[in-house]
Amino acid sequence: MLDVVVIGGGMSGLTAAIHLAGAGLKTAIISRGDPVCCLSTGCIDVLDLGGRPMDGYGALPEGHPYRLVGKRGIEDGLRMLKDIMASSPIPYTGTIRANREILTPIGTFKTTCLVPRTMEASQGCRDEYLHVISFAGLKDFYPSYITSRLPDTGFSLFDAGCSSTLALAARFEEQGFLDEFCSWLSSIEIPPGRVAIPAVLGLKNPVAVMEEISSRIGRTLFEIPTLPPSLPGMRLFRTLKTAFQERGGEVYWGNPISSVEIRGATVEAVTLAASGRPTRVQGRAFILATGSFVSGGLYATRESVREPVFNLAVRVPGARKDWFLHDFFMPGHPIEGAGIEVDASFRPAGSSLENLFVCGSILANSEIMKNRCGHGMALATGLKAARQCERMLV
Amino acid sequence: MTFEHCTRCTICVENCPVYKVEPRFPGPKQAGPDAQRFRLDPEKSVDEWVKYCCQCRRCQVSCPYGVDVADIILKAQLKYGREHLSPLAAHLFANAYHFNKLGSTLAPLANRASDWPLTKSVLGLFGVSRELDLPEFRFVNLERGRRRMGRGRKVVFFTGCHLAFNRPDIGRKVRDLLASTGCRVVMPAQTCCGLPALGNGDLDIARKFALKNAAMLTRYIDKGFDVVYACTSCGLTLMHDYPGILDVPGGRKIAENTYNVYAYLFPLLQAEAEGGPLGTLELSLAYHIPCHLRALGIGYPAARIFEMIEGLTCSILDDNCCGLAGTYGFKKRNQETSRRLGLIAAQAVRDTGADTVVADCGACRMQLSHYALMPALDPAEIITQAMANTPKRSRAGSGIAQKILQTIQMKRRSA
Ligand SMILES: Cc1cc2nc3c(=O)[nH]c(=O)nc-3n(C[C@H](O)[C@H](O)[C@H](O)COP(=O)(O)OP(=O)(O)OC[C@H]3O[C@@H](n4cnc5c(N)ncnc54)[C@H](O)[C@@H]3O)c2cc1C
Repeated sequence: MLDVVVIGGGMSGLTAAIHLAGAGLKTAIISRGDPVCCLSTGCIDVLDLGGRPMDGYGALPEGHPYRLVGKRGIEDGLRMLKDIMASSPIPYTGTIRANREILTPIGTFKTTCLVPRTMEASQGCRDEYLHVISFAGLKDFYPSYITSRLPDTGFSLFDAGCSSTLALAARFEEQGFLDEFCSWLSSIEIPPGRVAIPAVLGLKNPVAVMEEISSRIGRTLFEIPTLPPSLPGMRLFRTLKTAFQERGGEVYWGNPISSVEIRGATVEAVTLAASGRPTRVQGRAFILATGSFVSGGLYATRESVREPVFNLAVRVPGARKDWFLHDFFMPGHPIEGAGIEVDASFRPAGSSLENLFVCGSILANSEIMKNRCGHGMALATGLKAARQCERMLV
Repeated sequence: MTFEHCTRCTICVENCPVYKVEPRFPGPKQAGPDAQRFRLDPEKSVDEWVKYCCQCRRCQVSCPYGVDVADIILKAQLKYGREHLSPLAAHLFANAYHFNKLGSTLAPLANRASDWPLTKSVLGLFGVSRELDLPEFRFVNLERGRRRMGRGRKVVFFTGCHLAFNRPDIGRKVRDLLASTGCRVVMPAQTCCGLPALGNGDLDIARKFALKNAAMLTRYIDKGFDVVYACTSCGLTLMHDYPGILDVPGGRKIAENTYNVYAYLFPLLQAEAEGGPLGTLELSLAYHIPCHLRALGIGYPAARIFEMIEGLTCSILDDNCCGLAGTYGFKKRNQETSRRLGLIAAQAVRDTGADTVVADCGACRMQLSHYALMPALDPAEIITQAMANTPKRSRAGSGIAQKILQTIQMKRRSA
């Protein structure tokens, strides 16, 4: 029997699971698939309503998950992530005291808070000449988007014989290829300034690769996140998954929960639909971190929005006809506030279940796109739910 | 879920080992859901590249929407195989069982013959890669060593070809472990699970094998036996393909009564250990999780047993395909893909600094020991050795594993 079963292996579920396994509890993650993190920039957005991250805190509505966690809790979540990443080959840069800007592949700037070391030098890159290095035939990355938007820029192409970010990343892990690339780079004429490269500098040790290139050409270098497949997102996800496994955590990947067993106010077990015969997993406590619509944590039908695992009550903003807005990606789209409401202990509000906690983007009132609080909220609520769960068990 | 549930998020692409090293393969999203919209039954397949998929199933495991990406690709591979003349290597590997059987009957000769330059060049003409040595045959294969023991639970051990013909010593360790917990173990005559034939585009041969096994297994299940497997690829075939694409009579019953041997042993060994350690072994392991164990959705049962062993540390590595993928890497056209993936997986093993690598799959072990230049063991060898080191149990550790482990420990002590 496990102490805790975490359902969902995204940023929030992983954060909760790492904390619990680190506290010595026997913990497992069940996840139907890989999380949204793998498609993300790998940068941690905390809150961006103008100015510093916490400047916007007071403007959040009462029911926003951040308000339930508190400022201290948000900071704890970020610190936990930074500590984990600091002991990996991909340390993170930044603090809750400031937001920063990173260059995107279309030459715009994205506001975020914590970034992998490989994107550190993106901040302030518009203050000097910027040279973009890309690869002949690389799909979905067009340096002229950047050079046509930003004045003092130029680019060069290297022919690596492959056209995907993943293939390039595999090549950058070979010393021979790295040498070849560096000697090419040293041979071309680049005006004084910084050098940027799409995020392809290997999956495992991108910082080391970046530093080697940087020292060999004597320039400051940084990565630009790409469209998915996104190496920085994968690196973040895999580092957290490994951190969990190093703490003794178990993973069950690739199958959804098919049923749950509840007796009285207690969730006793969940069953996942594995090949051939279902696998039953028992636990003393459960954490629901199945994400929002994009991961299937919430599911919309014509009549309603459902939570498919426990069939928890879902807060839905108004009538269905009000969900329709011209632009889905418009900040403040009502459907962005849909989700599970929780009480101060992060148990589902209005439910009698005593050993179930909820965290991450499945939470109601989060409005992630409007508030730009994606990974930051997953970290903060994941840690908070885990602490509540720990308090109940220990 | 069908191809129509794909949202094109590319998470499957991120997880595809072949895509990152083989430019001729367009990746699981395109080979699976994308191309599926254009595959019409009566039309002859033109997507020859679909054969570059090694069926590691990582795409399907990672898909957040539950799309059966690997199954879609497998069906396309079988359709292609049905409509086109297969290369000789594919025939050879689809029928690997018969060659294995012959090879182990003539073991001394066959082993020598597979080292001859002439054999290698002939195999080369057939499209067989010469990068890795073909596995060695053992004369005393498991089929010959049939025995019954114990009076407890009744268990059929589905050994799979690798343990039967190449590593009967591991097969015997698995059998003895089961017997030591009181199981009555039988190893009735069995044939290839059918996976190599599926992997080589031949549904008919795969089904022929599967029907034979299914008849045998259901007979035993009806008499109250459980089925256990040690090879995780055979396991996945029994659990997923027998009731699925192979659709054999009794397929569902087999899937419902079949267990991974370490999942089966875990509660039994736990009871035996009575809350204390199961055994002792001062060793650090890199546990390479075979892709097909991952795809089974049962967690990593051997790792739970390792936790009961004093002195053992274990790093779990579940992000890499070893690249051999059964018979895939033995084909010349896949040789370079297999080599590069082997190097990536081996590097991950070496990065852990572990003494030795462990994997539940014979193909992974061959590949990893070749590229990581270290011994690769089966979990049964570790568990047996740890239990032998416990004074209260006098079971003898033996064989290859013991020698390897002793060497490692001597090196550690002198370091
Ligand atoms: C394309 C995209 C890019 C983004 N980029 C950024 C960014 O750059 N920076 C940032 O800070 N934020 C970003 N965000 C937002 C951020 O990624 C998410 O808000 C956050 O990571 C959500 O984490 P989560 O743990 O709540 O859920 P998810 O990451 O959605 O994880 C949920 C997990 O639960 C699993 N699951 C679902 N249902 C079941 C079930 N029934 N049984 C078992 N498992 C199940 C899923 O497979 C999944 O693995 C992005 C979001 C998107 C969609």
